Amino acid sequence: MSELGLRLAISLTQIGAIMGIVIVTVLLLTLAERKVLGWMQDRMGPMEVGPYGILQPFADAIKLFFKEDIIPAGANKLLFTMAPIICLIPAFIGFAVIPWGPNWTFEIGGITVKPFVISDINIGILYILAFASLGAYGIIIGGWASNSKYSLLGGLRSAAQIISYELNVGLSIIGIVILAGSLSLVKITDAQQGWFWHWYLFALPAPQIFAFVVYVISAVAETNRVPFDLPEAESELVAGFFTEYSGLRFAFFFLAEYANMVLVSCVAAALFLGGWNAPYPGTILELLGLPSLAWIENTMWFAVKTYSFLFLFFWLRATLPRLRYDQLMKFGWKVLLPIALANIVVTSIAVFFTQ
Amino acid sequence: MLSTVRSKRLSLSEWLKTITFYEILVGMKATLSHVLNYRPITLQYPHEKRTLPDNYRGMLALLRYDDGTEKCVGCDLCEAACPSRVIRVVSAEVPGEPTKRYSKEYYMDMTRCLFCGMCVDACPVDALGMTREFEWAVFDKRQLHLNKQQLLAIGDRSFPIREKRLELQHPNVAFFNVPFTHVPPKPN
Repeated sequence: MSELGLRLAISLTQIGAIMGIVIVTVLLLTLAERKVLGWMQDRMGPMEVGPYGILQPFADAIKLFFKEDIIPAGANKLLFTMAPIICLIPAFIGFAVIPWGPNWTFEIGGITVKPFVISDINIGILYILAFASLGAYGIIIGGWASNSKYSLLGGLRSAAQIISYELNVGLSIIGIVILAGSLSLVKITDAQQGWFWHWYLFALPAPQIFAFVVYVISAVAETNRVPFDLPEAESELVAGFFTEYSGLRFAFFFLAEYANMVLVSCVAAALFLGGWNAPYPGTILELLGLPSLAWIENTMWFAVKTYSFLFLFFWLRATLPRLRYDQLMKFGWKVLLPIALANIVVTSIAVFFTQ
Repeated sequence: MLSTVRSKRLSLSEWLKTITFYEILVGMKATLSHVLNYRPITLQYPHEKRTLPDNYRGMLALLRYDDGTEKCVGCDLCEAACPSRVIRVVSAEVPGEPTKRYSKEYYMDMTRCLFCGMCVDACPVDALGMTREFEWAVFDKRQLHLNKQQLLAIGDRSFPIREKRLELQHPNVAFFNVPFTHVPPKPN
């Protein structure tokens, strides 16, 4: 096998593994969300399909497959079809740079393989932010191509929201980039090894707690989740950009939303919560004399952090009512943006005087 | 005079509550406590069913006497009383009995019915009844256009205990169009 073929095979294996994990997570998230909301609001949640309702995601998928697929008259068919895909692809592409296990390398046929990250590029965060912002195009195109004024206005409204809050996501991350001196997610995670107070959430000289709060709020808003789910707003605005979408196309928008949630949680875990690092130095399995199995513990910690963050999404959804649109914009531009900018200044000064 | 009205200033504790999201945290604590202390309070509908009151106005039905003959005499009063024009009656003479009529066809378009019960009130022979059936969701609206046989079947399954024929009841009850010659004796 040629070197290129081997390289391709390794990459495809990694991509397949990550895709599998992400798609299964997204499927389970739809069930988990309804269950958690049920528990928090003293309801049962889905209980009918399968034992304890665990087959509900599959039932939903089958139902959406067989729903009538409507393209409105006068819609731009090409763009109308492409919009959900434009939304979906950036959400999945971001997972290429997420380090979900220890930074190991080994050689297969003269090629250095990093098993726990598909691609360790040195502009990892920039890459994620760049592709995440493409999702706004999917929304605005979907709104425009529907040939409906509700959808157009909804799309513009959603795009304005997503862009405003993406700004805050980007700015809240800059403090960590300054601390780590790198844009690579692998390097940033590696720099947080040790006790949990070495995580950038608590790390000296500039704890990123305020940046974390800004990041959490902006991430919730950017993924269109409650209390910032103005794009959906099913009770007062009757949906926005996807008013005309039905069946599987509609499902793709929500698949993208859930994939975005997972991505945002992975980024939060990697940047603020130490990624795959345990809250104590090293791993327990290493102390037990099983260093070759330490990756299990490390990936488990990454999963725990990611899923805790995802639980926070559900928790917020069960608790908070929706914001008004002017409150949403005011909060993003007049509260979160100054905090994020101040955090950058404070972090820069702290780093300047300590290093 | 200068106005003394000022915008309300936040006290220090209010300000602290605002910047630390105190109210939101209180709310999140409440929802989390419901996860840890989970008691479902809703009725698990397909498995548990609420007992409906006796005067519940559910699906309409046509009734029979205890010997199986239809009560309906095809008088069209229900059709006239219905505000949504749900009912359509085609009445005809009973063959061989020129004074006696019956409903040859009887249709109810339950997609329009608002379950007011006026047809039941209007019926002089109590041939219509409201059952306690409410699970009538269908995939095709045409299935809710019921004919006489279907309405009688609903009545059969919802009212297993039926009345005696009119002429077998009290002699003064039945005087509409039932040409009875033999008056049965009073019960006591």
